[in-house]
Amino acid sequence: MVKIRGVHKSYNGVAVLKGVDLDVARGEVTCLIGPSGSGKSTLLRCINHLEKHDSGELRVDGELVGYEMRNGKLHELSDKRICQNRSHIGMVFQRFNLFQHFTVLDNITIGQMKVLGVDRASAVKKARELLARVGLKDKESSYPSQLSGGQQQRVAIARALAMDPKLMLFDEPTSALDPELVGEVLEVMKDLARSGMTMIVVTHEIGFAREVATSVYFLDGGVIEESGDPRDVLANPSSERLKNFLSKVL
Amino acid sequence: MTTNGDDAVRVVPVRHYGRWVGVAVALVVFAMVVHTLFFRVASAKVSCRLIDGVKSCHHLMVWRFQWNIVGQYFFTSEILHGLLRTLFLTVVAMAIGITLGVSLAVMRLSPNRVLSIVAWVYTWFFRGTPVLVQLLFWSFIGLFYPHITIGIPFTHVTFVHINSNTSVTVMEACALGLGLNEGAYMSEIARAGLISVDEGQIEAATSLGMTRRQTLRLVTIPQAMRVIIPPTGNEVISMLKTTSLVSTVGVIDLLGAATNIYSANYEIVPLLLVASLWYLTVTTVLSIGQFYLERRFARGALRSPPPTPLQRLRADLATVRNSTTALVSRSRRV
Repeated sequence: MVKIRGVHKSYNGVAVLKGVDLDVARGEVTCLIGPSGSGKSTLLRCINHLEKHDSGELRVDGELVGYEMRNGKLHELSDKRICQNRSHIGMVFQRFNLFQHFTVLDNITIGQMKVLGVDRASAVKKARELLARVGLKDKESSYPSQLSGGQQQRVAIARALAMDPKLMLFDEPTSALDPELVGEVLEVMKDLARSGMTMIVVTHEIGFAREVATSVYFLDGGVIEESGDPRDVLANPSSERLKNFLSKVL
Repeated sequence: MTTNGDDAVRVVPVRHYGRWVGVAVALVVFAMVVHTLFFRVASAKVSCRLIDGVKSCHHLMVWRFQWNIVGQYFFTSEILHGLLRTLFLTVVAMAIGITLGVSLAVMRLSPNRVLSIVAWVYTWFFRGTPVLVQLLFWSFIGLFYPHITIGIPFTHVTFVHINSNTSVTVMEACALGLGLNEGAYMSEIARAGLISVDEGQIEAATSLGMTRRQTLRLVTIPQAMRVIIPPTGNEVISMLKTTSLVSTVGVIDLLGAATNIYSANYEIVPLLLVASLWYLTVTTVLSIGQFYLERRFARGALRSPPPTPLQRLRADLATVRNSTTALVSRSRRV
């Protein structure tokens, strides 16, 4: 589903990603862990082209992200094509980023209606199903500011799912939550993983990674330091840096 | 400790004595102002009558601000026509200004350097020259550009041809001039609004697959409105009065009409009051409109919208009623 080879990215001359390789198969849950500034979020944002990578190969579902190969040359995709590709990739942010001026229901229907061209009735029907799934049936007419962080994040997940994504990206989805609200969001994510969704999760929740992830990648200084099955990697880290990191977060 | 029920401990509110003095002073000053405005004073004119063969004289009582003359001219057709012109100029100039301002702000924030610089230069020029000069320039546009054509630049192919001396009225030129000037100010207001929207909102819209245009229209602009409306209300009210500059190029607006009348009958103060009262009336209506517009765009930004003046009045009355009932029931118990 996702294939990344030798991806580099730098901001104003500061290298953030220095040749990253990563593979995610359909239905897999991949967790990216690592200290802050290690490039986890940047890597995630490159996958749906919120950030342009400088070099390397990045494919989602076999297709290059942001570019097209024609006659042996890489052509940048038009904005419209990039938007089309993005609509198939769901993204959940650390700070929820729900549309503040819309009700919960409108947050979930807007993308379906304006991007996918679904009619209002079907969009609302789907939004209600998704709200029931994340346990917020009775909140459809609330505004985001009236909800707790955990509720907002669950709406954000529903909003992303409404687009029928083939891949879900989570950028530290529980880092901005009060400790007692982390569980409800992780529960929704576990449920999603069990349903067979392909997920890439940047997280500090080592417990979640151990329980749900198919594979774990440990990033440090813009490179993948260690990767593999979470039971091996997290239980018996081979690199000194991962040992160090785990001792701090656990 | 409880504060309700019959055994309630009585809470004695802090007495703000300084505040009471302030209120008293303010009320007295207010009463004095009302008195000078609306009570008649003895004039220098003396009127005498013979009552039962005895001559009785007294000074004529008049209003300081001659409200009788104000009333006489308030609804005259000349004034009302002037008012209509003022309203037309305000509406058209603000419509041009807002459209242009939002476009300029979007250009200014565009990743394309050329668009951004063009928008900057426009704002620099129109903010940097007096609006009066711009108005004079536009009303004499025919002098510089007697023919306005739409066609292919630098060729002789034309599709539309306008003779600017005959087809563009001074009134239209004024509306255009004021609008173009306003666009420069509005662009900064719109830009402030656009950059006030959280970057995360734009990222969320983008990752849903919305195009830049959709993001701007559905997410950024509606949220920017909350920041844009108050200063825009300011601009509308300011424009209402700036339109009075058009009298310099011969358009008779509200103030122009009042000037015309008093230059014939020398009732300067009452006619200035007529114009001012009309400006105040329109400003009042605009302010009310602004309040409700702000409330509408505050949706979601606040947990509960601010109360309307009517709701606030009701709440105040309810408080007063409750405290009186409390007082009454306490006195009954005693």
